[in-house]
Amino acid sequence: MHYSAESWETYVPAVQVAAAMVAGGGRGEALESVERLASRSAVVIFSVSSCCMCHAIKSLFCGMGVNPAVYELDEDPRGKEIEKALARLLGTTQPLPAVFIGGKLVGAMDRVMASHINGSLVPLLKQAGALWL
Amino acid sequence: MASNRVAQPGFSEPESSNQSMVYEVLHGVTPPQPNFIEQHGSAYDFGELEQALMPKVFHGVGLGADGDRKRNCDAINFAAFLGVRPPTLEIFPSWPVRPQPPPTRANSQSAESTDSGSAQNTGPWKAADARFDQESPISTKGSDHSEHHPQGEMASDPTRAPSSTAPAPNSQFKPLEKKKVTASSSERDGSKQLDAKTLRRLAQNREAARKSRLRKKAYVQQLENSRIKLNQLEQELQRARSQGLFLAGGAGANLSSGAAIFDMEHARWLEEDQRHMSELRAGLHAHLPDGELRVIVDSCLGHYDEIFRLKSVAAKADVFHLYSGIWTTPAERCFLWMGGFRPSDLLKILVPHLEPLTEQQFLGICSLQQSSQQAEEALSQGLDSLQQALADTIAAGSLSQGPDVGNYMGQMAIALGKLANYEGFVRQADNLRQQTLHQLRRILTIRQAARCFLAIGEYYTRLRALSSLWSSRPREIMVPEAHPVATATELQMVQHTENHFTTF
Repeated sequence: MHYSAESWETYVPAVQVAAAMVAGGGRGEALESVERLASRSAVVIFSVSSCCMCHAIKSLFCGMGVNPAVYELDEDPRGKEIEKALARLLGTTQPLPAVFIGGKLVGAMDRVMASHINGSLVPLLKQAGALWL
Repeated sequence: MASNRVAQPGFSEPESSNQSMVYEVLHGVTPPQPNFIEQHGSAYDFGELEQALMPKVFHGVGLGADGDRKRNCDAINFAAFLGVRPPTLEIFPSWPVRPQPPPTRANSQSAESTDSGSAQNTGPWKAADARFDQESPISTKGSDHSEHHPQGEMASDPTRAPSSTAPAPNSQFKPLEKKKVTASSSERDGSKQLDAKTLRRLAQNREAARKSRLRKKAYVQQLENSRIKLNQLEQELQRARSQGLFLAGGAGANLSSGAAIFDMEHARWLEEDQRHMSELRAGLHAHLPDGELRVIVDSCLGHYDEIFRLKSVAAKADVFHLYSGIWTTPAERCFLWMGGFRPSDLLKILVPHLEPLTEQQFLGICSLQQSSQQAEEALSQGLDSLQQALADTIAAGSLSQGPDVGNYMGQMAIALGKLANYEGFVRQADNLRQQTLHQLRRILTIRQAARCFLAIGEYYTRLRALSSLWSSRPREIMVPEAHPVATATELQMVQHTENHFTTF
């Protein structure tokens, strides 16, 4: 099942991800790749193209007018390692979708939801320059 | 019954009761019921029987001319029964067991063993034995017996009377044969006439006894069936009540264990919720200081956390039970969104009741409403894409062919994986609800928060009351056999409705 791309998202080509990975190196470097990728854009989402929850989180940000950078890990040769690194970071077996704002890890879906409800998400976005009033 | 059977001179018309007792003695059958009118008539054919088998008794009762009419009656009865069933001589060997059976007993009536079955005789026979044993021991011989027997009988049979009815407290069976016997000197004369009349009466009573027995059997059967049915209904009612369901029909049978457990916990949670509501109401009414009110409000919030925890456990066990909203009442189900209430709807309802709000609070509430709306929209879109993906997976390949074609199992495996995502969405939706309630608590003052949670509780109580009223609204009477539980749950719902009304 292939998730159809929509124009309001920025897809980082897989080549670019791989290049970043290569630059990073081995396993410990997967984490560094993550950090590297996360700091490249104001809002970074690590996703899987066929995952519907990832679709939901993308809808959320785009609905707010944010233009997140989406890395589809299932379309990436090193995607598995990034997913593992994210799992270690988040302390959960299902880390996707994972959101970084301003290079800092916000969390998976429930954390993003909670931060949006408690009103902390929008200031964070504004601070990262992803949202303008 | 031959009329020539009446042989012995001086024998009086046997009393019905005497005959029955005699018969009982002879045949070891159950003592008859009180209404038993025992037979008579053909009993006179005792001829050689009496001589062969019960000389003692006959002596004891003083066969032959005797001043004591009663005793003669006894004897006649006794002998009569002896003669009634010549073919049943085989039971006589049991006779020695009872060396001195009282010849007649008013309340012991015999039942022929025809359709009653010999098996039935054992119990009442024991009762008869007891009665026999209660008799004063009667020596086997001697004319004194004639004294003892009748007196003993009389003592034990206070109700003995020349009437057709003879009480038998322990007896459970009507004898097959009944006969109304009236002892009168006039009847003694024309034995042949008597025979005809009494024969007819015998037959009639026999029929009556048979009918009574059948009626009694049918009645007992009906009682048993009703009892079983009642137990079943009670069990279903118990099950439905414990699950807090307001459904007609066997709701309990269709639930998985996880769903059933959740329903039970939810019912308990609802009761607990009522308690929190009353505490809030009481606290607001009493104008408690903020510190104490905070405790109540926080415990109320903790109570909401509890239901979300229960729901997350239930989502793991049976997500579609939550998602379908079966655990809610019908009116609540109208507003169902992803297995629960829609947070933005609830906020829309609450805002007018939270007045007066400061500007900052008002802005906070508005932004809360907006962000929950956005989050709900995102989750709904995600679920839509999940549904689309699921439909595409199931419909992949040719639908005109059977399941044995192609990659059926592979397709199913993919579809299973997709279906499992429902749990994630229900969980995120519950997370959204929980976060919204916590944010409300943060924005509002303690008093406002108390009123807010009270309003939420009252709103859902009213929705549940509406569901009760709806389910118990007047409808066509259903056939009881078809929907026994429906009527039972409807009754329960009417009661529940009354409870709701008390809070208004």
